Amino acid sequence: MADFSRREFFGAPALIGLWSKTDRKITGSFVNDSFPLGHRLRDRSAFRAPAQQLRVPIVIVGGGMAGLNAAWHLDKRGFRDFVLLEMERQAGGNSRSGENEVSKFPWAAHYVPVPAKGESLARELFGELGLFRYGKWDERTLCFDPQERLFINGHWQEGIEPEDGATPRDRAQYRRFMDKINEFRATGQFTVPMERGARPSPLDRMSMSDWLAQQGFDSTPLRWYINYACRDDYGAMSKDTSAWVGVQYFASREPEEKGPLTWPEGNGWIAARLIDKLRRYLRTGEVVYRVVQSGNRVRVLTEATEYIADAVIWAAPTFLASYIIEGVPPADGFQYSPWLTANLTLDRIPGQKNAEPAWDNVIYDSPALGYVNATHMSLATHVDRTVWTFYWSLAEHTPGEARRLLLAQDWNYWKEAILNDLARAHPDIRQCVAHMDIMRIGHAMARPSPGFLFSEERARWLKPLGKIFFANSDLSGFSIFEEAQYRGVEAAKEAVHAVSRA
Amino acid sequence: MSIALFLSVFLIAACGLIYELIAGTLASYLLGDTVFQFSTIIGCYLFAMGIGSYLSRFLHRGLVARFVSIELMVGVVGGFSSSILFLAFAYTEAFRFILYAVVILVGTLVGLEIPLLMRILKERFQFRELVSHVLTFDYLGALGASLLFPILLVPKLGLVRSALVFGIFNVVVALWSTYLFREQIGRSHILRAGSVVVLALLGTGMVFADRISSAADNSLYADEVIFSRNTPYQRIVLTKWKDDLRLFLNSHLQFSSRDEYRYHEALVHPGLATLPGAHRVLVLGGGDGLAVREILKYPSVESVTLVDLDPEMTHLFSTHLVMSALNQHSLTNPRVHVINADALRWLDANTEQYDFIVADFPDPTSYALGKLFTTTFYRLAAKHLASGGLIVVQSTSPLFARQSYWCIVESVKQAGLRVYPYHVYVPSFGEWGYVIGSFAPYEPPRQLPSGLRFLSTTNVAELFIFPVDMQPVPAEPNRLNDQVLVRYYEQEWKDVAH
Repeated sequence: MADFSRREFFGAPALIGLWSKTDRKITGSFVNDSFPLGHRLRDRSAFRAPAQQLRVPIVIVGGGMAGLNAAWHLDKRGFRDFVLLEMERQAGGNSRSGENEVSKFPWAAHYVPVPAKGESLARELFGELGLFRYGKWDERTLCFDPQERLFINGHWQEGIEPEDGATPRDRAQYRRFMDKINEFRATGQFTVPMERGARPSPLDRMSMSDWLAQQGFDSTPLRWYINYACRDDYGAMSKDTSAWVGVQYFASREPEEKGPLTWPEGNGWIAARLIDKLRRYLRTGEVVYRVVQSGNRVRVLTEATEYIADAVIWAAPTFLASYIIEGVPPADGFQYSPWLTANLTLDRIPGQKNAEPAWDNVIYDSPALGYVNATHMSLATHVDRTVWTFYWSLAEHTPGEARRLLLAQDWNYWKEAILNDLARAHPDIRQCVAHMDIMRIGHAMARPSPGFLFSEERARWLKPLGKIFFANSDLSGFSIFEEAQYRGVEAAKEAVHAVSRA
Repeated sequence: MSIALFLSVFLIAACGLIYELIAGTLASYLLGDTVFQFSTIIGCYLFAMGIGSYLSRFLHRGLVARFVSIELMVGVVGGFSSSILFLAFAYTEAFRFILYAVVILVGTLVGLEIPLLMRILKERFQFRELVSHVLTFDYLGALGASLLFPILLVPKLGLVRSALVFGIFNVVVALWSTYLFREQIGRSHILRAGSVVVLALLGTGMVFADRISSAADNSLYADEVIFSRNTPYQRIVLTKWKDDLRLFLNSHLQFSSRDEYRYHEALVHPGLATLPGAHRVLVLGGGDGLAVREILKYPSVESVTLVDLDPEMTHLFSTHLVMSALNQHSLTNPRVHVINADALRWLDANTEQYDFIVADFPDPTSYALGKLFTTTFYRLAAKHLASGGLIVVQSTSPLFARQSYWCIVESVKQAGLRVYPYHVYVPSFGEWGYVIGSFAPYEPPRQLPSGLRFLSTTNVAELFIFPVDMQPVPAEPNRLNDQVLVRYYEQEWKDVAH
């Protein structure tokens, strides 16, 4: 007993000291959860009948990048008779963003590679937004140096391609891989947007990792790097990604300027500019729960209004169509990776071990994708608080498993998982984070599985259904800004054509 | 036998004192404020010895083995104490904590030595004799050490090696004891093996001593530190040697009071003296107020705005007796307005125009500082130039960092300004470069304020002539998305250092 009380006497204060140091209170919650509404649509739950009817030539369903760019195109060519319906309170879809007292920050998409010469649509929009003038890109939007870094072997290296610890054999494979990519680039089949160049190819019938094995690429860091690229852009491991799309990631880009284009709030900057231009067409919080073709018209039902349209641009994810549009078969071939993003507010910058924070910070061998620093694009030479956006595509699971996991675990579980991951590179992370909001997206990005891109199913969805034109980026097989923009604008062109014929 | 025993006492006493002196010297060397450092370190050390003496009562059996182990521990901790402290200062934020932790640890171990030794020896000597001898040799050892330390050790061996040498003495005493008390000791071979390991460790330390000092060297100063503070932005250190005051920011020399007039006269007058109607001047960086001192020599200048990031820096140079005397109280002059802000953000958020702008930032040693040398920065600064105005930029050394220098010149040029590069010799820096940027053609001044110590109307035009070894080399401009300057700079100064 005496022994116990003495230990208690000496031990307790020490333990309390330890506890208060490591377990700093971190506030936060899940935010922007969209699955309750999604599940109501999926389950065809009862919605109120519309209160009024409105005749409008074109209805755009979905206010993400595809819908916003469809609207941008219509408005630009002087077509003003349309509405843009968004079910969430904030338009922007995967380009939504947030803001707190420290910084603006993205919720998902956070950059656009500098559009090459052939990418006329993207150049047109960015020119209009003042980012591209007299052949020069705005220097405050081109990602500041240092762009990327990788935590490997206990320290940070510049760039994400693993250099530290790479053997001459690894380096030889890096070079040979880039040679291969250059050959692919020279074919002209790997373009942005993909539709311009894509030709049916046996590459799409195998996975990226199978193609690497077939070509004799067995370097561990090279395979890590390519797997990282697939997880980052498609939410899938390289073994679950079409080799054609894997090659596309590397071979489609030929930037004339060191980029990418980025903003503290990520692509939320683009979304905000488009929303500003298109405010008078935009109706947020309007859930389209039924779309019915009747005669030459299409009826679009929300709880507020029944829109009687001549044409509909379906810019929402394609898989939702079968739940909402009458008589549409399920889009079973379309797969989506779920994502988890977290915004961490840091009121202290973690120690950097003589390295400078980069914009994109990746940890080698982490299951997650790393974090982007929101204050990187600030002109300040010194910041003492910042926001990090942490990305996790849960690619090692099947999409279904990952979605179940996302819903099953509470905020605290994910908060701990994120902190543990970051602690590999930042042991003091728990003393720096004050707040963490986490966003779960069940169907975040299209997952280009082998065989999908040149499948009959995708070809079917590329065609309109009567007067309904499909526009989501998932029709390209992967969700990036340029594909959304291209699909949105193409659908808008077709819709205008259909309406003018009517 | 007894001589050998008391020689051990002499040695361990010397070792104990040496570690104490090393901690005190290092602390006042690195932190300044000698009286405070020595007082607190001697106090803590003696107190810790008291703790050691007290703890000695809890050791009962196997006293010789315990004594040998303690010697080995003192050898390791004490022997590496200066290495640990140098590296802690250079690479951690917890120098003071580590300093006092080392002092208390060594003190406690040393405090155990004499009581244990006296108990080991109590069977062999009369108590009266024992106390007298042990204490005599103890004090003799202290005397020896305190004379040896300043005369021989610090000048010849340096602090890192001195500590290691005395660590080796501790191990020698340990080894010796396993021989002297071989009857009283059980597993002497284990202790001997341990001694050999520690000896090897300390020997390795001796081999790498130079590397340890040079690893820490970036953070070390040759002269006495009279002021040292870590602000949220940087480490400010002032050193003094005779009449030479030096300012270091993050260990990079900013000026030496012996020749800073060359640097600051050359920074300000070639530009400002050509603008007789200059009323409004902006200084970016330059929180030491020395450029402002030169600017205030022009009666036409009505206001000087100084934008410096660090409030502690401008406060120090406004209030510190010696520092404000050096800048002739420029920062408290009624014509001067001090603003503590991030220069690039401040330029972006304000619209005032100035006749003369001085960009006096630390060299681009990081991407963060590199932002202040980008085309974006110069473009923004140019927007703040009144018509006919000039900007001057401190641009590192065109001799040691030639490509970096011409990269800065190119960056100013890319901002749409005409560039007029020039350089000057500042003994404490070497050849140093500047560049004037202007919308209108510029010519060196024909008149200068009176009372300058370096510049004259005859030598000012010569500053614009570059000898062959500093003439232009091709360099990309430094841009926010591609900070070539930071990479040029790192490479070039690395080459100079080797």
